[in-house]
Amino acid sequence: MTHKDTLRGKVAVIGAGLSPVGRVPGRSPLWLAADAARKALAEAGIDKSEVDGVLSSHAFAAPFHRFSVAFSEYFGIQPTFSNTLQVSGATAATLFAVGAAAVAGGLAETVLVVGADSLLTGLSPDLALRSMTESRDQQYEMPFGIPVSNTFAMTAHRHMKEFGTTPEQLAEVAVVQRRHAMRTPGAQMTAPITVQDVLGSGMVTSPYHKLDCSLISDGGAAFVITSAERARSLGARKPVYILGAGECYTHEHIFLMPSLTTTGAAVSSRNAYAMSGYGPRDMDVAGIYDCFTGTVIMMVEDLGFCPKGEGGRFVADGQITYGGAIPANTHGGLLSFAHSGMPGALFHFHEVIRQLRGECGERQVTGAKLGLVHSLGAGFATNATSIFGTEDTL
Amino acid sequence: MITFDEATKKPLPTPDTDSAAFWSGLKEGKLLLQHCLDCGHVQYYQQGMCRRCGGERLEHRAASGRGKVHSFSVVYRAPGPAFKRDVPYAVLLVDLEEGPRMISSLVGAKPESVTFDMPVQLVCEKASDEITLPRFRPA
Repeated sequence: MTHKDTLRGKVAVIGAGLSPVGRVPGRSPLWLAADAARKALAEAGIDKSEVDGVLSSHAFAAPFHRFSVAFSEYFGIQPTFSNTLQVSGATAATLFAVGAAAVAGGLAETVLVVGADSLLTGLSPDLALRSMTESRDQQYEMPFGIPVSNTFAMTAHRHMKEFGTTPEQLAEVAVVQRRHAMRTPGAQMTAPITVQDVLGSGMVTSPYHKLDCSLISDGGAAFVITSAERARSLGARKPVYILGAGECYTHEHIFLMPSLTTTGAAVSSRNAYAMSGYGPRDMDVAGIYDCFTGTVIMMVEDLGFCPKGEGGRFVADGQITYGGAIPANTHGGLLSFAHSGMPGALFHFHEVIRQLRGECGERQVTGAKLGLVHSLGAGFATNATSIFGTEDTL
Repeated sequence: MITFDEATKKPLPTPDTDSAAFWSGLKEGKLLLQHCLDCGHVQYYQQGMCRRCGGERLEHRAASGRGKVHSFSVVYRAPGPAFKRDVPYAVLLVDLEEGPRMISSLVGAKPESVTFDMPVQLVCEKASDEITLPRFRPA
């Protein structure tokens, strides 16, 4: 598809909520999800009885086959539209895309998008082991001892070989995002770090050191989305509109990834930009999935913020922070804010939506009107991009 | 529940109807690739139809075992207790001479000695009575 305008501006986010994040002992994924949901509904100014759709991700620490259905029971609602989506790290963006399509297509009027997990304090040793090993293929990958981190490491390694990307440039991503997290209330990691700290933090799977890797956290987020008409009739304060959405699935096994250095994000973002009518240069702020530092470097290229191969220099030049081309992960991202598995990518959505509402206090990107969020997973097997804008951008 | 014994045992593949021939080939020291008799596509891993043309006339032929390292990563933190004794080990993406790319790990050399585009040679390593794993050593 080269152009589609079916969803542009038809659906708005009218409320967002975060549970406590980081180390949150004694709280189940369902409680974290419900806590985020009640905050999102309070912000939207509607009662839970008005929610007729629920979309969620799965949770490792609450391994229900149907998390969205279990959540609805826990939260005391009986929606008439629901599903639990699973495309690994890309799930977050698909929750918004499927939710928007459901609203625009009449399957539901008000959809709660929700996700939570307790990877830090909620996993039994049994579940922890399963979370580490079961996401890769049992015949052709796991017998060789290949965790998902290893698949991402091999893409970054090849990027270094092809384009001269350096360990220092990778480390710079972690340093910049830590600086962002220091200004974010509730962020898990707020002590300043340097490039030398990252390079000296011990190798996990080359080229990634410990501080090149994202955190393990507890936490959840929730959002209320409804039609633009209903947002207006409710008198919603500062609705944020879904302007574009795109997805791309290029492979399942890492050895069938078409190129280790150009990902499905190039296609998913192109489709999202086309739907929105805007391009990468129009974006004021971004949330970029950052399971590892090198992931961000590859994504700024594939999302069109800089040419292929120049991501390392782009980051080192200060282009992903305030005053640069595209301030990204202003909350600190998975590297420093929190990473509770699939719901971790919802924190990027929360941040970009808050930025577009002008509610980020000292970390506010001045005048932000257009924002992109990209989520991805499973060794770049899954990619999904969302573009949001304020009323002015419609 | 996963028991302690299971957790410390390395995961071994359970051959299925698509892959049975592949795993029995390895027991005989052969890395079998599927050649499509309709379109000529050569594929790894094994499945019931050609990923390019959908044809089902697939012939198993043994690979030469020669390949080159496209990318790699040396693992220092093990993914679970089963691999703790093995670290550090090098995971490889190998481009086989016949075209397909596969994932494997290095034997017969220090993990830190791997380089990009390094020539490697197949080594069939028996893991159990049923399963032999395809690994690679420097050529």
